[in-house]
Amino acid sequence: MGAESGSAPRERTGVRRPAMVVAHPRRTALVIGGAAILLVLVAAVGLVAGSKATGIGDVWLVLSGGGDDHLRTVVDSRIPRTVLGALVGAALAVAGVIIQGITRNPLGDPGLLGVTAGASASVVTATAFLGFAGGGATVWIALPGALITVAVVYAIGGRGAGGSAVPLVLTGAVVAAVLGAYIQAMTLTMPTVFDSYRHWVIGSLAGRGFDTVVSILPVLVVGLVLAAVLAGGLNTLALGDEVAASLGVRVQLVRAGGILAAGLLSAAATAAVGPIAFVGLAVPHLVRSLVGADHRAALPVAVLLGATLLIGADVVGRVIARPEELMVGIVTAFVGAPVLLIAVRRGWAARS
Amino acid sequence: MTRVETQSSRLPGTRMLRIGRLVALPVRRRAVLVCLAVCLVILAVGLATLTMGRLGIPLGELLTSVAVPPEGKTAFVLERLRGPRLLTAIGVGAAFGLAGTLFQTVTRNPLGSPDVIGLGAGAGAGVAITTVLWNGLVPTPVGALGGAVLAIALVHLATGRGFASPSRVIIAGIGVAAMAAAVTQYVISIGVRDQASQLAAALAGSLNAADWSDVAVLAVTIGVVLPLAAALGGALRLIELGDDATDALGARAIRTRTVAILLSVVAAAGAVTAAGPIAFVALTAPQIARRATRTAGPNLVASALIGAAIMVTADLVVQQSPLADGLPVGVLTAGVGGVYLGALLLREWRGGRV
Repeated sequence: MGAESGSAPRERTGVRRPAMVVAHPRRTALVIGGAAILLVLVAAVGLVAGSKATGIGDVWLVLSGGGDDHLRTVVDSRIPRTVLGALVGAALAVAGVIIQGITRNPLGDPGLLGVTAGASASVVTATAFLGFAGGGATVWIALPGALITVAVVYAIGGRGAGGSAVPLVLTGAVVAAVLGAYIQAMTLTMPTVFDSYRHWVIGSLAGRGFDTVVSILPVLVVGLVLAAVLAGGLNTLALGDEVAASLGVRVQLVRAGGILAAGLLSAAATAAVGPIAFVGLAVPHLVRSLVGADHRAALPVAVLLGATLLIGADVVGRVIARPEELMVGIVTAFVGAPVLLIAVRRGWAARS
Repeated sequence: MTRVETQSSRLPGTRMLRIGRLVALPVRRRAVLVCLAVCLVILAVGLATLTMGRLGIPLGELLTSVAVPPEGKTAFVLERLRGPRLLTAIGVGAAFGLAGTLFQTVTRNPLGSPDVIGLGAGAGAGVAITTVLWNGLVPTPVGALGGAVLAIALVHLATGRGFASPSRVIIAGIGVAAMAAAVTQYVISIGVRDQASQLAAALAGSLNAADWSDVAVLAVTIGVVLPLAAALGGALRLIELGDDATDALGARAIRTRTVAILLSVVAAAGAVTAAGPIAFVALTAPQIARRATRTAGPNLVASALIGAAIMVTADLVVQQSPLADGLPVGVLTAGVGGVYLGALLLREWRGGRV
């Protein structure tokens, strides 16, 4: 699974055994169990740790209905951001697994579909022309922008001859570049737009409540269900289009569905908390090194590890800069990148 | 090495240019014509840059100033404002063109450039830290160079084998670029608004502050990189055949690739030091050169010239167009370059030629 061709298609992915049963059922079960325990632990830490130190006893007290008002407020504010962190992390990781599978590109991440650029451009446009002032309604501005961009990218690049993923990747890169230039031009000429944009562009879980969770939940559920339904088809797609077609898989349909699922998941995640780099890129690599490339094993593991990574990064960001907070989008880059670098050095991430 | 050159020179329309017994360069007629045409474009756009607009120097005055040193306003515009800016644009474009063609040849990746491995992002983080956090104690170009060098050093360290394996270099580069971008975004988010806005403009890549020291940096960079890259020339062309073939034909693949990536990084670092991380020139120039000269492999001179032509044209538009007024030139190259490159690759892919 070398990456010397960057965004060019790969004939082989990391699939070693195109089996129709999960290749290592015991290992997969162990990994899923371990990841689930890790997620519960990290989520618990997410409720306990923060810029105001609280003990486990305090948190338990609040959760069971007791505690004074101050303590209650502190812990109550941590519940939605932990839930949101889990959802967003899981969504980005699953989207990453699907995109890397479909494009057969180990460097693929949801940004390839133009999600980040679309959401950002939408927020910038609303701020510049509609007097949008940020806050909780951001999700309703960013979500349509992201989804429209995915639709445009798919409409232009999704139906290449023979159904290859190359035009999709190229179109995504072009659309992202154009929107990036538009964003730069807008932010550099309008200081007020720049002022709100520079805070939006770093993904952060701070100040998001249950209303944000509720507004993206339907989109996430649709995306996850779609991904689960397509898992088997995505496995077959990895064998190459001709083989997949000869096995009776409707290649175009599976690919379109996969892109739709990845687009919905990453658009919802980005709309809720802003652009978060790296989770969608790095978690799939980690997942494949643990359970292989079978989507039916990889997708649940990606859900658990993505959620764990994002909550963990948020906790680190809250603790490391007390009494201030470091945005989770910055922490994921600084936690994820060294992991990727070590993986490269050890030869996990790229052969040759 | 000499064997290598006779191999590649068996292309139709190729002649050997011999100077004494040491130098034998394959010269293709089409490539020479393309280079001459691009030189004319650069000359024309350069003249327009110097003569147009409110501060423009009348053409007659410009021509006489070649013989007689000018005075007053003309001298100021020519020697302090537009002269160095024009030369910086040419130098930056040429350096990016060289960087791009070297990198794309050895990684066999049409979307490759030193930006992919974190050079631009590292330079941006360096600029952000020096201007906002250290409040201008260190000059911006030093910050850009420091950031770029640090990023590339990290990539080199992380791969475990230096620059020998392109796939490792690219993946490590993405990691380093993500970290550098996070630093930049953080600095922008905590800075005072106007300071942060200026920083954002510098990060897009701009020639607004170009002066003679930038020209000197670029002259040295190109003066070092171009001859060394030309010396690698034949071996580079072989790398496109694959490593085994390269080794079998006597041009050591790993060493050639390492040296080429190093030269590419030096060229891009010089350009970034002078003008900031300007997007898409390093990516686009080699693609145009490849198509215009109809030659695969590193079209060193053609890529450098086309890069220069792109930069001077983009800078002329930024200076004179009311729509782009005051925007950093990097915004324009990102928009136009992105569309052009994407459309080009998409069309070729549809035609089954990639």
